[in-house]
Amino acid sequence: MSDSRRLAGVVLLLALSAGVAGSGTAIAQKTYQAPAANTAGAGIEVVELPSASSPLVSIRLQFRAGSIDDPAGKEGLASLTAAMVSDAGTQKRSYTDLVEALYPMAASIDGRTDREVTLIAGTVHRDKLADYTALLEEAILRPGFAQADFDRNKEQLLARLTNSLRSNDEALGLELIQDEIYQGHPYGHSPVGTVEGLKSITLADVKAFYKQHYTQSRLMLGVAGGYPKDYVARLKQDLGPLPQGEKESKRLPPPPAVTGRNITLVEKQTGSVGIHFGFPLPINRADADYYPLMVANSFLGEHRTMNGRLMQQLRGKRGLNYGDYSYIEYWASPPSTSNPSPNVPRRQQYFSVWIRPVVPVDAQFALRGGLYEVQRLRDQGMTKEDFELSRDFVVNYSKLWAQSLSRRLGFMMDSRYYGMPYYIDEIDKRLKNLTVEQVNAAIKKYIQTDNYRAVFVTANAQKLKETLEKDEPSPKTYNAQPEADVAEADKTIQALKVKPTSIRILPVDQVFQK
Amino acid sequence: MYTRISLLLCGLLMFAGVVTASIAATAATPAKAAAKAASGDIFPFQVAQTTLANGLKVIVIPYDSPGTLAYYLVVRTGSRDEVEPGHSGFAHFFEHMMFRGTDKYPADKYNDLLKKMGADSNASTADDATVFHIVGPSSELTTLMDMESDRFKGLKYSEDAFRTESLAVLGEYNKGVSNPVQPMFEKLRDLAFEKHTYKHTTIGFEADIKAMPGYYEYSRQFFKRFYRPENVVLLVVGDVKPPQVFDLAKQYYGDWTPGYQAPAIAPEPPQKERKKGHLDWPNPTHPYLLVGYHMPAFSTKAVDSAALDMIGDLLFSESAPLYQELVVNKQWVDLVQGGPNDNRDPGLFIVLARVKSDDLLPKVKETIDRYMQELATRPVDPKRLARNQSHERYAFALELDTPSKVAEQVADVISQTGDVQDINRRFAQFKKVTPADVQRLARATFRPQNETEVTLSHPAGAPEKPAQGGDKHE
Repeated sequence: MSDSRRLAGVVLLLALSAGVAGSGTAIAQKTYQAPAANTAGAGIEVVELPSASSPLVSIRLQFRAGSIDDPAGKEGLASLTAAMVSDAGTQKRSYTDLVEALYPMAASIDGRTDREVTLIAGTVHRDKLADYTALLEEAILRPGFAQADFDRNKEQLLARLTNSLRSNDEALGLELIQDEIYQGHPYGHSPVGTVEGLKSITLADVKAFYKQHYTQSRLMLGVAGGYPKDYVARLKQDLGPLPQGEKESKRLPPPPAVTGRNITLVEKQTGSVGIHFGFPLPINRADADYYPLMVANSFLGEHRTMNGRLMQQLRGKRGLNYGDYSYIEYWASPPSTSNPSPNVPRRQQYFSVWIRPVVPVDAQFALRGGLYEVQRLRDQGMTKEDFELSRDFVVNYSKLWAQSLSRRLGFMMDSRYYGMPYYIDEIDKRLKNLTVEQVNAAIKKYIQTDNYRAVFVTANAQKLKETLEKDEPSPKTYNAQPEADVAEADKTIQALKVKPTSIRILPVDQVFQK
Repeated sequence: MYTRISLLLCGLLMFAGVVTASIAATAATPAKAAAKAASGDIFPFQVAQTTLANGLKVIVIPYDSPGTLAYYLVVRTGSRDEVEPGHSGFAHFFEHMMFRGTDKYPADKYNDLLKKMGADSNASTADDATVFHIVGPSSELTTLMDMESDRFKGLKYSEDAFRTESLAVLGEYNKGVSNPVQPMFEKLRDLAFEKHTYKHTTIGFEADIKAMPGYYEYSRQFFKRFYRPENVVLLVVGDVKPPQVFDLAKQYYGDWTPGYQAPAIAPEPPQKERKKGHLDWPNPTHPYLLVGYHMPAFSTKAVDSAALDMIGDLLFSESAPLYQELVVNKQWVDLVQGGPNDNRDPGLFIVLARVKSDDLLPKVKETIDRYMQELATRPVDPKRLARNQSHERYAFALELDTPSKVAEQVADVISQTGDVQDINRRFAQFKKVTPADVQRLARATFRPQNETEVTLSHPAGAPEKPAQGGDKHE
């Protein structure tokens, strides 16, 4: 099935009752065209995905303004600035009035900052497009920067660090492993910021950041759905008051080298132990080697499926825990979802394994089990049969990632950011030409278990530290008779040498502190 | 900006925006959709439905998604049906077991087939239903019928596999306990309900989960009691034709033997006094406030469920005066959410707030009470109701842009009432809600003796091991 056929389906015919139905003359979009570049005009890069039959319109404004742009000591400035655009009043109306105006159309202005970009986005029924656009433009062009909004948003971000992230072991580990892998690098702090960084930010800092980064040259404007023909041109024109700005992206240094086994134990009162380990990858989806590695990763640990070997071996056969996955890109979506998020492009990526919480007695075995499977993949590679099955899966499965117009638009914008053809099509094209030899070569080239950083979220960190340092065998006990191959593999797993090169204990109240 | 109730926790589906109404015919073209809109129905798609001789209901919704379909099986059994003492969490556990294979399709073969298709496959369990879903190529419909009917008719697993899977469930329990909200829900339900099985959350009590490995025989009985055609709805949304789906359903599910045994679920007696509970949290956190009020079961026969949904929005949407006062103006909380938990049996209207400091907890509660009493004593401005109705209509439209989202909406209403027509009926009720209805429902619901409150805070001293809760699990 061609991708264009899939898209046509997404462009459904949502009709609301009470006279808000889609156009009766609209024709389902059967002839999807490749993304059209349009960089003319006000200096704003535009990505369009028109669909006359869709009653919805999605607008995504992606600014090259991420946490890599946070000044030292002001970590969180990009996020706080985004919040002052998306979750605050304008010069014309208070935040209360803004949400009041948005409410009847069930629309919102959503802001999200990642390492490299900030996304301001929303979806609205086309009946309300004009009203919504006016509000969106107001928020972006004329933010109010009221002190009360500033105080509220700063407190919200602080609470996200000190309550939401520190309280949720899984979210904590997912974020902290990145800080660990990118120590000393612009990626080395959460986009939410740090507690001390946020506290030091002033309203003047936000205004200055906005002025410097919310510019035409940093903006990629994406629009998808059933909007009028001249809508994008008008929107682009309306955004003309944004300053031109500088075109250059912030240069990124190479990711820090990881040498040996470096472990951080986050000490907190918790009943189980969550584990992540990983290391930087020198490639992203714009590189040819990304695609063979994508197949290998799917085979090893496709997120939220039973396809991955990690999941099959650790959960399925051993009942070790709830889930075990691997990644070659940052996973931005909520853990419970199965599709990756668009609009979180990063020029630098990392490999990681996520072992969801295990009972404390199994913590060392779980680390060994994860490393064992990664090393087994490196040593043995994939068979032709495994390769073909995983390749076919990724080719088909990836098409589900862009079922809605809004998500498809996001992936189109990502592709533009990376300077590559449309990602989902690229997966199809490149994977169909892959060989198992190429995949196994990519595994050998990029995947290893000698040099990594790991994060454990655990109680009794000192005890776990001692256990890891002793590096003694960690036999696994079962509540049922394990299969013969499991029992055999366990002999190797339990004795794997994982003695840390470095290990430290980090009290939870110091995580994301500075 | 946040929309109302996404209750950061595990799927307490408050069902905001899931308006409803009845389903007429139409939809696979814009012209038909427009015609359907004129009929007044909120749901813009054609719904074809049949019931096999064994009781299996089959619903087909053609959807313009060339090459793709969403294949859902809604088992109308959830944690609500766990009536035997010591077996809380079993419906969810059994959902896991459904992936352990059959003679014809052992687990590895089943997984490989789905993998080959590139299908997205999973399942979830909630209070009132267990939902199995696959999103994949419509060209594989016959294979899906074969695979899915096979496991629903002939699931087979060893005791060793059963015991091993119980550990994965324990792992799922463990992953949830670090979120303070989950143990709060466990406490709230345990306090609020005396008799009804909503007393426990879907994941179940920890002690019951730990005892699961010993219940292999019980699990076989569980399958025989609940996984029967009269208790299941097959729902297919996407690039399919109803007659084809009906024929295949008859071919593959027609020989599935009926025999559903409805559990005897004790009704909940009226609550007679205000209840309170508290949890100490071992790690530093802002204090939390969670309040539950008993409310009627979800129904489209009267305006009550729709009115309660509106009350949820009138109090807790971002534009609501209460939200504005607590979050935007006074900034006493960084999070406040609330709304009805629409269940098959009478459930709870929930309020959750994360408060800036311990001393503000009573003030936040007083503020919430004040706004609730205002709704109970003063008629709401009809313009606010009109805005609410507009919001619900548009919110619903935003949730129908893929086959799986449509299927989710339908699966929700099936879990509640079993009748897809209730989608449109519900929306029709929305349009009937009057200020007097809002007052009546607010008065009936927000009474002190109908209230259960749970707080959580970090004490200066001794930590204790957190308990757990949660409402929807995968």
